[in-house]
Amino acid sequence: MAFESDNKPRPVSAKVVISGGFGVGKTTFVSAVSEIAPLRTEAKMTSAAAGVDDNQLVQTKTSTTVAMDFGKITVDEGLVLYVFGTPGQDRFGFMWNDITAGALGALVLVDTRRLDECFNAIDFFESRDVPFIIGLNQFDGAPQHDPEDIREALDLDPSVPIIRTDARTSDLALDTLVQLLSHILESLSAAASKEAAPVHHVPDDREAPVVTDGMRTAAMSALAAERTG
Amino acid sequence: MSHVDTEAGGSFVRSYLLTGGRTRSDAGDIAIEAMVAATDGSEMPRDIDLAKIYQLCAEPNSIAEISAKCSLPLGVARVLVADLWGAGTLEILETTRSDDIAIVRRLLDGIRKR
Ligand SMILES: Nc1nc2c(ncn2[C@@H]2O[C@H](COP(=O)(O)OP(=O)(O)O)[C@@H](O)[C@H]2O)c(=O)[nH]1
Ligand SMILES: [Mg+2]
Repeated sequence: MAFESDNKPRPVSAKVVISGGFGVGKTTFVSAVSEIAPLRTEAKMTSAAAGVDDNQLVQTKTSTTVAMDFGKITVDEGLVLYVFGTPGQDRFGFMWNDITAGALGALVLVDTRRLDECFNAIDFFESRDVPFIIGLNQFDGAPQHDPEDIREALDLDPSVPIIRTDARTSDLALDTLVQLLSHILESLSAAASKEAAPVHHVPDDREAPVVTDGMRTAAMSALAAERTG
Repeated sequence: MSHVDTEAGGSFVRSYLLTGGRTRSDAGDIAIEAMVAATDGSEMPRDIDLAKIYQLCAEPNSIAEISAKCSLPLGVARVLVADLWGAGTLEILETTRSDDIAIVRRLLDGIRKR
C-alpha cells in the first residue's frame, strides 16, 4: 500500500512545557488547552538501556517508568503547537531533556500552599535561559498572596510574569498560554535587539543536553546527505 | 477529559528486541515534537509495529504521538522512526527553532482567536 497525495500538509511543529510540583494541575492544564484528548507516553530506559545486559534491563524497567502527558493545538494548516507536561516522578532526568530541548518556553504552575515544590523547575529553566512565566493556580482554601510577595519568596527576576490562572477552565488556561507566548516574544525581541548570544546556552555538566537546535540540524543534514549520497 | 492511556506493558521487551537493543539510532535524537509523515509513493513495511507507525503517519504525527498511539516507549518509537526515515519510508518534518520570532507571533495570533 502506498500513500499518495499532492497536497499533503507539511506542518512545522513547536512546543511549550507545563511544569511545576506534584498535583499542581499540569495534567489538568494540558487537557484544558488541548484539542485532542491528552495523550500519555512513557519512557522506559531509553538512553539508560544502552549497554545494559538483559537481566538488568528487565529489572530497571520496573524501577524507571516515567510518564508524561501532552496535548496538541493546530494553530493553522502549517503550524502545530505541542504542550508537554513534565513527569512528576522523574526528577530532571532524561525525559526532561527530551521535553525541554528546543522548547519555546515554559509555564511553571504553582500552588501557593506548597511554594517550595516549584523551586527546582524554576532553577532548571533559569539555568538554560528558557523563557518562563509563573501561573498561580487557584486552589480552594489557598491563601491569596500578593504576586510581588511570591516573586520575593521565589527570588524571581522582575521580568518574569506572575499571573493567576485556573487549569480547570479552558478559557483561563488558553489565556495563560497567550501570556506565556507574549512573554516568549518579549524575551526573544529583547535578545534580538541586544544581538545577544543564542537563546539556549549550553547547560552545565550536571545536566548534559541531549540535543540542541544546532546538533539536531547537523544530525538531520548529515542523515539527509547519507540518504541521497 | 479522559486519558488515552497507552501503557507499553508487555510489549516492551519485544520492542527492545525489535530495535536490536538500540534505543538510540545513528540518526541522533529526533525531537519528540517532530512530526513524521509517510513518504509519497513508499511501501508499507511488513513488520507489524513498523506497519502501524507507517499507517498512522498517513497524516503527520509527532514522535510523541506515535509513541502514545502505538504503545511504544518514547525511545523505541524514536529509533523505529529513524530507521524508517533512513529507509526513505517516512519523512521527518521541520521543528521550529526556539528563537523563531515569526513563529511565536503566528502562535500568538492563532491561539488568541480561540
Ligand atoms: N482548585 C483547583 N484545583 C485544580 C486546579 N488545577 C488542577 N486542580 C486539581 O488538582 C488535582 C491535581 O491536578 P493534576 O492536573 O492531576 O496535577 P499534576 O500532578 O500537576 O498533573 C486534580 O484533582 C485537579 O482537579 C486549579 O486550577 N484549581
Ligand atoms: Mg499529572
